[in-house]
Amino acid sequence: MASSHEEGGAEQKVVGEKVPLTTATVEKGAKLLQSLTPVKQFQQHVCTWAMYSHDMNRKIETHHYAARLNEDLLQCAVFDSDQDDARLIGVEYIISDRLFLALPEEEQKLWHSHLYEIEQGLWVNPGVPEVMQKMELKKLAKTYGKFWCTWQVDRGDKIPMGPPALMMSPQEVPPGQIPEEMVHNRDAKYNITSMQLAQNRADIAGSEVMHTMADYWKKTGKGFVVGYKEVDIALGAGSPLKNLS
Amino acid sequence: MSAVGPGPFFQSRDIPGEPIKTRTAAIEKSAEILQSFKPISKVHAHLCAFHFYAYDMRRQVEAHHYCTHLSEDVHQCLIYDTPNKDARLIGVEYIVTENVFLALPEEEKKFWHSHEYEVKSGVLFMPGVPSIAEKMEMKELAKTYGKVFHFWQFDKGDILPIGPPQLMMALTTDGQLDEKLAADVQARFNVSFDEKRKERADLEGPLNGVHPSANSWRKGMGLAPYVSEVDCVMTTPQEMSRESSEL
Repeated sequence: MASSHEEGGAEQKVVGEKVPLTTATVEKGAKLLQSLTPVKQFQQHVCTWAMYSHDMNRKIETHHYAARLNEDLLQCAVFDSDQDDARLIGVEYIISDRLFLALPEEEQKLWHSHLYEIEQGLWVNPGVPEVMQKMELKKLAKTYGKFWCTWQVDRGDKIPMGPPALMMSPQEVPPGQIPEEMVHNRDAKYNITSMQLAQNRADIAGSEVMHTMADYWKKTGKGFVVGYKEVDIALGAGSPLKNLS
Repeated sequence: MSAVGPGPFFQSRDIPGEPIKTRTAAIEKSAEILQSFKPISKVHAHLCAFHFYAYDMRRQVEAHHYCTHLSEDVHQCLIYDTPNKDARLIGVEYIVTENVFLALPEEEKKFWHSHEYEVKSGVLFMPGVPSIAEKMEMKELAKTYGKVFHFWQFDKGDILPIGPPQLMMALTTDGQLDEKLAADVQARFNVSFDEKRKERADLEGPLNGVHPSANSWRKGMGLAPYVSEVDCVMTTPQEMSRESSEL
């Protein structure tokens, strides 16, 4: 089982020793018996960036594995890398502008647009020739995303701590821009040039209706944090208090 | 938008949106062939269990876990509402060993739940896996703790994943599980919780017993999400303006 723990001197990314061979073997056996259908529906790997809504100077490279539920809706498992030992850092939902515009304003505030990162060549499908992906990108440029990050690996968390964080997308104005160095490093990894991709994507257009509450920070300078407050637990009639212990 | 019926018999037609066009499907198929999906291919196990909202035990949902063993101490799982092709990705769960859990700050422990009861009562199972192999996995799992967030409240009929992330909890003793839901799952997956309970009678929970700070709701304390507006760039905590708004 490949893992960062094997690399000499590499910083440990997850708490715990690597999975012992015997365990790994048992697990392989189980895997052969189970169909794992939902996770076989991922059709594309997207690499891009996201930033914490409450702390936008923290920018992370993300690896989205996306599955399309229908023409208007995709669901993504988001990881911190594209490797075997990648950490699952959250979930993103992507919807068409048609569905987005039907959301209540309070809900729209939690979503971000995708046009900028796509037209700038930040959003890429590693390994897929641009010409093949163009039609899909044209469609995605009109979509909105809602991304909950459950593992803040950038601050060194070796296990997921605290409540989930809402994430925002790269944009043309600070603090929404992605530093050149980050883009350069990513580009080198996949042997691509984002700037060149951007030129090829000049004809990609966004949604016609842009006056929404998405990218809320651009208009207000505000972001969101999630917290959990103590309330009385509601127990069903079938769950009397005697079952609490 | 069409309405969606709650519960496990969800069909993809209930989700708003056009059916996938042939052209879209063809493009995505080609991308799929060209790309590698290493993090996804590490998913090795499917576990079925139940979660309830950390502030409302009456809302119990079937949860299909697809898990990766990240290190000896950590599993990470994608949670779906069904095991089918059109399943909705509704959340994530992290599972850690007792030692890791015990080292967590007290403030963090309240987000976590124990797995001992779910395993020993037989309500947590691995569809398609023979008892002997399943029990090997259950032996370790019974000692662990989990942290789950759901993003899509399909049980209340949400046709899109709206609102803040919901903290979820797990069952801790008999009499809590919705009987109808239990019967339904057992029939659909052709399993018997009672039989599994007998098979697992000798399994043991956490070495130090279930920690009192886990399963926070057992003290009568539910945990409900709220969203606060803050400055989008961190300055100092004192400068952070907070305007609470409930979603």
